[in-house]
Amino acid sequence: MSFGVTLHGMENAGTAAPSPGAVPSPSSGPSPSSGPSPSSGPSPSSGPSPSSGPVWRFLIQPRWLGWHLLMVVSFWGMLWLGDWQFHRALSGNALSWAYTFEWPLFAGFAVVFWAKTIRDEFRIRRGEIADPRAMAAQLPAGMGIAQASVVAGLDDGGDEDEELSAYNAYLARLNAEVKDHGRWHGLR
Amino acid sequence: MNVVKAAVLRYRVMAYVTGVVLIVLCFVGIPLQVAGKPAVANDVGVVHGILYIIYLINAWILSRKLKLENKPTVIMLLAGTVPIMTFIVERWISRRFIAPALASQVPAPEPVRPG
Repeated sequence: MSFGVTLHGMENAGTAAPSPGAVPSPSSGPSPSSGPSPSSGPSPSSGPSPSSGPVWRFLIQPRWLGWHLLMVVSFWGMLWLGDWQFHRALSGNALSWAYTFEWPLFAGFAVVFWAKTIRDEFRIRRGEIADPRAMAAQLPAGMGIAQASVVAGLDDGGDEDEELSAYNAYLARLNAEVKDHGRWHGLR
Repeated sequence: MNVVKAAVLRYRVMAYVTGVVLIVLCFVGIPLQVAGKPAVANDVGVVHGILYIIYLINAWILSRKLKLENKPTVIMLLAGTVPIMTFIVERWISRRFIAPALASQVPAPEPVRPG
């Protein structure tokens, strides 16, 4: 079951690897047709504004260049390891056959992970999906929509009682107060 | 059982299974291999290799469900290669990300009160 889910996602990722030239201009802005968006909440006090320059500009930010570098090094490194295991396998080490196929699989996984992450970032910056950072005012960095909606009470089915909501608001306030103490500087 | 809880369960099972097998590999298999008996390390190594692929896929699916950022996701994925680290990271991910996400979905009959 889990394999099916992943393979489906991989197909999407293959076609969704963004090329900077194909990115629409930032003037396209958030599309109202994408349904109710929680990103209309408090905007992050820090971080790049979606409307400053072309959308693909974030790809050349230092932190993203770091991710690209890590991606390239790990991809070629894992292919090299697969090649190394292949030569070991050819020279009689039967165990190496397993690793001969495993390393390229990991290399492919790195590419898929990288492509889907970039695709998500493009979607966020075009306003197609909610920005997890929009909740940064309420949440410790690293928390995403799935957690933020708890605090904001966005996706509860109406079965959450008032007392629990008040408690969640209390937690959100505590989070905001201690946000910068030992903060996790998540890369995004 | 909803999709997030199912993903959490699959991740936890794989984190513990992979972690135990990796501990066997590193603290039983490798010493035996150094002592000249590589059979255990070879067999357990292949088992860990296969389990780690499954762990990788499940951990990644969970990170998508929770919409984690890059860094916690990478830490979660790589934890399956470092002995004992799967357990530590599983605790950290649970406390930091899974518990808040599940709190929205299961209206607790007895919500925990402060103080």
